[in-house]
Amino acid sequence: MRDRLRHEMEEIFRNVFGDQQLVLRDDMTANDVEGWDSLAHINLMIAVEKRFGVRFATAEISRLKGDGQTVGRLLDLVEQKKRA
Amino acid sequence: MQSSTSLTAVAEVFLCAAEAQKQEKLAALLRDLRSALAIGRYDDVAALLKRVALPTLDYTTAQGLHRARNELRGKVLSSPQRIRLAVTGSFTTKQLVPLIDLYLFAAGVDAEVFEGDYGLFRQDILDPRSDLYNFAPQVIFLATGWRDLAHRPVLSHAPFEVANVIAAEQSDWCRLWQLAHQETGCQIIQNNFVLPACRPLANHEMRQSGSLSRYIASMNESLAVAAPPFVTIHDVEHLAACWGRWKWDDPRFVHQAKLPCSPECLPDYAHSIASIIAAQLGLAKKCLVLDLDNTLWGGVVGDDGWGGIRLGQTDPEGEAFMAFQQYAKSLRHRGVLLAVCSKNDENNAREVFEKHSEMVLRLDDIACFMANWDDKATNLRRIAQELNIGTNSLVFVDDNPAERALVRQLLPEVAVPEMPSDVADYIQAIDRHRYFQTLSIESEDLRRTEYYRADAIRRDAQTSAAGIEEFLVSLDMVAQIGPVTNDTLSRSAQLIQRSNQFNLTTRRRTPAELAAMLQDESWITRTVTLSDRFGDNGLISVILARVCPDALEIDTWVMSCRVLKRTVQQFVLNHFCDLVRQRGLGRIRGEYIPTAKNGLVREHYASLGFAPVAGADGERTLWDLVITDSWQEATTYIRKETNA
Repeated sequence: MRDRLRHEMEEIFRNVFGDQQLVLRDDMTANDVEGWDSLAHINLMIAVEKRFGVRFATAEISRLKGDGQTVGRLLDLVEQKKRA
Repeated sequence: MQSSTSLTAVAEVFLCAAEAQKQEKLAALLRDLRSALAIGRYDDVAALLKRVALPTLDYTTAQGLHRARNELRGKVLSSPQRIRLAVTGSFTTKQLVPLIDLYLFAAGVDAEVFEGDYGLFRQDILDPRSDLYNFAPQVIFLATGWRDLAHRPVLSHAPFEVANVIAAEQSDWCRLWQLAHQETGCQIIQNNFVLPACRPLANHEMRQSGSLSRYIASMNESLAVAAPPFVTIHDVEHLAACWGRWKWDDPRFVHQAKLPCSPECLPDYAHSIASIIAAQLGLAKKCLVLDLDNTLWGGVVGDDGWGGIRLGQTDPEGEAFMAFQQYAKSLRHRGVLLAVCSKNDENNAREVFEKHSEMVLRLDDIACFMANWDDKATNLRRIAQELNIGTNSLVFVDDNPAERALVRQLLPEVAVPEMPSDVADYIQAIDRHRYFQTLSIESEDLRRTEYYRADAIRRDAQTSAAGIEEFLVSLDMVAQIGPVTNDTLSRSAQLIQRSNQFNLTTRRRTPAELAAMLQDESWITRTVTLSDRFGDNGLISVILARVCPDALEIDTWVMSCRVLKRTVQQFVLNHFCDLVRQRGLGRIRGEYIPTAKNGLVREHYASLGFAPVAGADGERTLWDLVITDSWQEATTYIRKETNA
C-alpha cells in the first residue's frame, strides 16, 4: 500500500519537477529536491490533490513545505486523508 | 514509437479518448513526448503540442506540456508571429503566464513575456522609467481583480453618491490606460471584475446601489463603455460565471499563493487571454464549415428524404439540432462565414435548405456550398479558395470521427474540434475553443456574408459580360479615399490584422499604433471604401505611408481579396501620385516582404510600373517609382467620390 502510494507520488514529483530520474525517499525534504520552491510547491499540491482526490487545508499546504517536513509526512497525510 | 505518424496517432488517441480514459492516454502521450524530445524530434513535438493544447486541459497537464514547449525554444523554426507581452497585475501571475505562453504557441505565436512584480501594476504604469516600459511591450495584460477597485461605495450611499464613486473609479482606470498607451503605444487587455459568490445582502445584493456586487457590475459596464479602441476588456466575469462562482473560487490558493481563481480554471483563463492576443495577430478563424447529415439534422437525407430527417420541435433531438443551427446563425450574423461540406448529392442537400420549414439556416446564410462525393480535405481546400481565405482560417465540424481524423491528418492547419456524440453538447464543444475571437466587433462584421454573396452575383455578371473591361465598366464603381479617422480606426486595424494574402509587408498594426500615427505628421494614412451597382463593399483597403524628404514610402498596403482585379490598386496609386506631386516628393518607394501567404502580391509593384531596387536583404524586395510630370495615370475603372 505504502509502496504503491510512494510510486504514484514519485510519478507526480517527476512530472512537477520535470526530472524523470527523481527517486522518492521518505526522509527527503524540500531542500533535497531541486526546484522545490514556493511556486513548485503550489503546483505539487494541486497535482497531488487531483491525483488522489484529496483536499489539503490552508495550513497544511503551508506546513508541508516547512522546516523538518519530509516526503514521508506528505505520504502519511495523503494516506490518512484517503482513509477518511 | 519514433515516427511522426505514431506521435500524431498518439495525439489522435488522446483527443478521442472517453473522459474516463483521458488520464491514462495522457500519461502515454507525455511518455512519447519525452522520448521524442530526447532524440530531437522537435518539429514533431511542436506539431503534437499544437494539437493537444486545448482549453479543457487540467492544470498539471498544461504545466507539463509547457515544460515541453520550453524545451523547444530555439530548436524549432520560430513562427512568423512574435509578440512582446507584458503581464502586470495584483495577483500572482506565475502560474498563469506559462499557460498563456503554451496556448499562444499552439496558436502559432512566439511570445516573449515580461512579468511585473506582484501587485505593482500602478507603479509600473505611473513610473516612466519602469521595467515595464523598458521592455517595450506590444501588448499589456492588466491582470487585476475587484480588490483593485480603489473607490468603494458604502451601503448608506444614495444612488447619486454611488454614481460619483463609479465616475471616480472609471476615470482612474482611463488615466492608467492613457498613460500606458502614451508610453508604449501598445494594445491593453484589461480584466473586468468577477462578482463574488458570497453575498452579505443575500437576494437583495443587486438591488442595493451601494452593495459590492452591484458596484462591481456597474464598474464592469462603465469600463466596457469607456474603453477606447486600444483597450480590450477581458470578460473574466463571464468566465467565472460559466465555471460557476463557487467552483471558480478556491480561497485556499488565494490566501496561500494569491492565485486569481481555482487552479483547475487557470488553463481556461489562460486560453481566453491567448485567444485575444492571437486574434490581434490575425490568427482567429474566419469560417465555420459544417457537415450536414447528423451534424445539422438527424438522419441521412439521401436515405430518408428531406421529409424524413430529424429536425424541429416535434422531438427533443430535432430541437437540439435546431438550437445548433441557431448558434451557427448567430455566428454568421456577427461576421463568421458559414460553409457546407457534405458527402451528398447536391440537389438533395440543397432541397433541405429550400423546403424544410424548420431549417434555421437558409441557403443565403451559406457563403460556400460544397456537396459532392469528393474527399473532405479536397473540398475544404476548394472552400478556402472560393472564399479567398487560407485553409488555416477554417473550423471543420463533422459528427463522423473518420472524417475528422482524415482532415486532421491531411490538413493539420484546419481546426477540427472533437464532437460529442450528443447533439445537445455540440454548441459547447465548439464555443469553448474561442475560434472566432476578435478584438472588436465592427459594423462591417455584421454584414460580411452579404458582401460575399454579392461577390457571387458579381461573378455571375462577370461570366455574362463580353470582356473584363466591359464588366468593370458595368460595375459602376465609386470609391472614397481618405485618412483613417476615429470612426474607421478599429475597422482599419482589423483589416491590417486579418489580411494575409493581399498584404505587402504583414506588419500587424494595432489600433493603438494606428492611433499614434494619426497624430504624427510624418505618416499618411488612407482607407478606401468601394461601392458598385450590386451594393456597398465597405472599407476594403488600408495604406500607411511615411513621408521622407525625397520620397513617399509605403509601409503597409492591405486589401480585402474580395475586390481583387477591380483596379483598386491602380486607383490608390493615382491618388498617391497626386499627393507626391503636390508635396514635391518626387518618388514612391514600395516594399514586399514574402510570407507563406502573400505570394499573390509578389509582383504587385512590378505590375504598377515600379522598378526593382537593389539593397534589399533576404527575401524582401524594394521598389521605386519616379513621378515625373509626364507620368501617365494608371488605368482604373473606379470613380472617386470626393468628400473624404
